[in-house]
Amino acid sequence: MSNQDETQPEETPTTRLRRELPAEVPAAAPQADASEEAAESALTGRQRLVKGLWPPRVTRAQLIVAVLLFGLGFGLAVQVASNSDSSNALRGARQEDLVRILDELDDRSQRLEDEKQGLEKQRQELENSSDQAEEARKQTVEKEKQLGILAGTVAAQGPGITVTIEDTKGTVEADMLLDAIQELRAAGAEAIQVNGVRVVAGTYLTDSGESVSVDGNKINAPYRFKVIGKPQDLEPALNIPGGVVQTLEKEQATVTVERSTKIVVDALRAAEQPDYARSSSQ
Amino acid sequence: MIAVLGLVVGVVAGLLVRPEVPAVVEPYLPIAVVAALDAVFGGLRAMLDGIFDDKVFVVSFLSNVVVAALIVFLGDKLGVGAQLSTGVVVVLGIRIFSNAAAIRRHVFRA
Repeated sequence: MSNQDETQPEETPTTRLRRELPAEVPAAAPQADASEEAAESALTGRQRLVKGLWPPRVTRAQLIVAVLLFGLGFGLAVQVASNSDSSNALRGARQEDLVRILDELDDRSQRLEDEKQGLEKQRQELENSSDQAEEARKQTVEKEKQLGILAGTVAAQGPGITVTIEDTKGTVEADMLLDAIQELRAAGAEAIQVNGVRVVAGTYLTDSGESVSVDGNKINAPYRFKVIGKPQDLEPALNIPGGVVQTLEKEQATVTVERSTKIVVDALRAAEQPDYARSSSQ
Repeated sequence: MIAVLGLVVGVVAGLLVRPEVPAVVEPYLPIAVVAALDAVFGGLRAMLDGIFDDKVFVVSFLSNVVVAALIVFLGDKLGVGAQLSTGVVVVLGIRIFSNAAAIRRHVFRA
């Protein structure tokens, strides 16, 4: 395709390969000025290069080559400039390349879209489950408070009554106080404490000499009950004829019942793990 | 010397003018540039060998460019444009390398 095909026989081994290419150029061409050729063949390639470069000679060959090289340089610069222009990176691309790139981008965006949907779904599930966990936790706390009031592990406050039993003669016995507690419970008392001892389901009362023991804690008169419940129910329940108040007054004790809008039951007892009873609910 | 000046002026002009490449020519320009480079290396080698001929150079330069562009054009029409242009670039690259090797032997004697 180019001049290289007309290499001289004394050239390096690579020319042997090159000579296998079909010669495009008639061999007669270099023989046009054979004398000059003979003179030049004495020179080495390096000398020829230097001679061609300096001094500058305006010959037909130089001019033609200059024009062609101008074209090459121009094309090279234009191509490099248009290629390095990043905004037009796709301008030179072939149609099939563009189609392929478009397909790839479509695939990619489809994949990313799928991934996004999956992640959003996951996020929603996590949010739901954390909502549920939060709700369950709230309910548990609420239930713990309710059960804590029944079990006496937390303090309670609310409307209720205060019952004070003065026992100057020492005639009040445990069963009378128990009657009072039963009556209060029957009337809807929700939290009860007697002289600083919380009354719960397992509370027991015993006589101990002149005074009374509640759950093993000795308490002395006056017995002061703090009861949370509906005062309008609790007070009449104690005052019914033949009821607690009359029974106690028969024993020379004085009973005062006081309604109050805010009773604080703050005597606590430790939560105990039952030794034998286990919850049978799942 | 004039030839080297021509190349330099061409590069500078291309950078300064920054012409819009017509869309029709656009796919063929890079291949044509590579083909022209091949012709230039071949010409340089021929000059070092002392067998340079301007007529041969002109013909080989132009035919290189035209044939390379034609091959790519044909490839585009056949639907194998990308592969064919890769093939052309590979072949021209090999030729440029072997020409460069010969030039190197002349200039550096190694």
